[in-house]
Amino acid sequence: MIVTTNLSKKYNDVQVLNIESLDIPKGQSFGLVGNNGAGKTTYFSLLLDLIKPTTGQIKNNNVLVHESEDWKPFTSAFIDESFLIGYLTAEEYFYFIGELRGQNKSDVDALVAQFEDFFHGEILNQKKYLRDLSKGNQKKAGIVAALIGNPEVIILDEPFANLDPTTQIRLKAIIKDLAEKKGVTVLISSHDLLHVTDVCERIVVLEKGKIVKDLITSKETLKELEAHFSGVVVE
Amino acid sequence: MLVLHTNVYITTKTMIKQFIRLEWKQFFRASYFQKGLAIKILLILAALYFGGIAIFMGIGLFFILKKAIPDVDPIVSVNNFIIYWFLFEMLIRYFMQQLPVMNVKPLMTIPIKRNTVIHYLLGKTTLSFFNFLSVFLFLPFCIVLLIKGYAVLNVALWFLSIICLTLSINYLNFLVNKSNTVFYVIVVVLFAAIGLEYYGIYALSEPIGVAFNTLYNNPFLIVVPIALLVALYYLNFKYIKSGFYLDDAVSKKVKEVNATDLSWMNRFGSIAPFLKNDMKLIWRNARPKQVMMMSFLFLFYGLIFYTQEVYREMPAMLAFASMFVTGGFLMTFGQLVPSWDSEYYKMLMSQNIPYRKYLESKWYLMVVAVTISFVLSTPYLYFGWEIFGMIAAGALFNIGLNSFITLFGGALNRVPIELNVKAKAFSNTNGFNPTQMLIALPKFLLPMGLFYIPYKLFNFEAGLIVLAMSGVLGIVFKGFFLSKIEQVYQTGKYKTVAAFGEKK
Repeated sequence: MIVTTNLSKKYNDVQVLNIESLDIPKGQSFGLVGNNGAGKTTYFSLLLDLIKPTTGQIKNNNVLVHESEDWKPFTSAFIDESFLIGYLTAEEYFYFIGELRGQNKSDVDALVAQFEDFFHGEILNQKKYLRDLSKGNQKKAGIVAALIGNPEVIILDEPFANLDPTTQIRLKAIIKDLAEKKGVTVLISSHDLLHVTDVCERIVVLEKGKIVKDLITSKETLKELEAHFSGVVVE
Repeated sequence: MLVLHTNVYITTKTMIKQFIRLEWKQFFRASYFQKGLAIKILLILAALYFGGIAIFMGIGLFFILKKAIPDVDPIVSVNNFIIYWFLFEMLIRYFMQQLPVMNVKPLMTIPIKRNTVIHYLLGKTTLSFFNFLSVFLFLPFCIVLLIKGYAVLNVALWFLSIICLTLSINYLNFLVNKSNTVFYVIVVVLFAAIGLEYYGIYALSEPIGVAFNTLYNNPFLIVVPIALLVALYYLNFKYIKSGFYLDDAVSKKVKEVNATDLSWMNRFGSIAPFLKNDMKLIWRNARPKQVMMMSFLFLFYGLIFYTQEVYREMPAMLAFASMFVTGGFLMTFGQLVPSWDSEYYKMLMSQNIPYRKYLESKWYLMVVAVTISFVLSTPYLYFGWEIFGMIAAGALFNIGLNSFITLFGGALNRVPIELNVKAKAFSNTNGFNPTQMLIALPKFLLPMGLFYIPYKLFNFEAGLIVLAMSGVLGIVFKGFFLSKIEQVYQTGKYKTVAAFGEKK
């Protein structure tokens, strides 16, 4: 589904990302982990054509993302709060995204209704603009908005950060469901090793912009990751 | 372990020194300060210009009044009309002056007395440019009075009273800013008073004038403005103190809001979602609201030109003014087109949105605004069909050409805007850059040229027709223009995304 070749990004001669080849098949739940500055957000931004690659390319479902806009109809993302429109209420925002993705009001209502317990009564009918919600609640709204319109690729940057434990657990269930039952390719990044290993079938570790590990998740994965990040070499 | 809690408060003096140091850094390290030198020079020039005008007015005031109303003492005339100055000042302040804000969050947990912070916050506002405007105007006037031999005590204390009242307005403004009702009351009172006065029904300025004259003649009455100032200061102090918690006044209030149903706009088809969004953008954010109110004032621009005989002989200037009458919103709102969406631009760029539709919706918004302005401008018929014809031709030019020039200019504008923060006078350069100034030139020169050349070659009607036809041509070639502009936006996309993502 997503094929990355010879992709690199430099800022003033400082290389922040360099991926020779990365192939994410359709329906995979894919996790990206790494310390601050490892290049996770850079990769996602390249995937969304928000920054220009220095070399190489990404093909999303055979569409070259930096040349054509045709990947947009089947791709959705929530990177940070700048994906929200602060002066709308959550409902208005969902309907707006719905309209952009060819969904009418009742389609959106039906989808959003499935996430009632994820929202925990803090998103809908709040009579508040999104900018006045807490960070965690903004995130919930943003994540659900990214699910509107049956996207085939969903990109979530740090979806677990700022969420309360209950919501984290519910989010994990949602992500698993998307990949397993609906065949959606889900890409997430996280600092939290436990959450990623719980959710993702495959985990890639980035370090200073390079892929240093590419693991299919198993029982040992968490241990291996913890060992890697604490600097212990495991054989 | 127990720590003794004596004397942990830092002294007020040290504290104030620290605050000033912080402000200094905040000012010089702010990103807008580090932007172009050109802007800085422009802003300083603007401040000097307005300050200079005020000083000249102040000096000239005495002589102008002496000439205009020879049998009344100028100080009496000033006192009679000073209330309008104060009302005018209130209006400007309401739009332009920022509430005193300080980053209190980091201060709340440090041992500083709350009172110190609040006194500092309120004290700081006395240095506002608006307070100096009064000083610039009335100080020269008072000096002229003294030279002319008016009683020193009376003049000096009168001046002090005026300054006290100016500061009172300063503090009143902060209270007014908390409620829209007070604002509308002031606007209505102002217009009612001017109306009553103009038609000679009741001169409200008379009793107020009497009051100010009494103030001048009895210098000891200065206690009244002082008392007023103290009272307003105290009210502000109390207000801020009661809200000196993060969830209150100092950080912004969360109002309860209702979703607005704009589904009737769906008839606009594929651009409807954007139009609906833009309506909400304008109604729900401080900055665009401010811009819209300002653009409303452009409607009155024609009055300056049409009422003066001098301009009647200069049709090119009239064409210029006519374009402004209907083009207020187009130019003030339009020139910041992608910037309005800067807060969530990344989302727009990765969403399922063709750029074309986005631009088209902005174009329709401008067309609607020009149309509304045109309808509102019908009272200009009073000045005759020729003037109104010019306004109509100007409106067509605005719809057909100016809108595209404006959108094109927007592509080159990459300054992010904080939507819910009012623009400050002379300190906020958000969404303003030299490119904008350059791109603004054709907006003025083009309609003047389009009108003037055929006017010179043939006659007045030819000028009108050419100006109007230029707009019609623009509408006919709308698709072509939009495609060209879209290309410019596409090419600059990465730069724009990066610039809008910059932290302010």
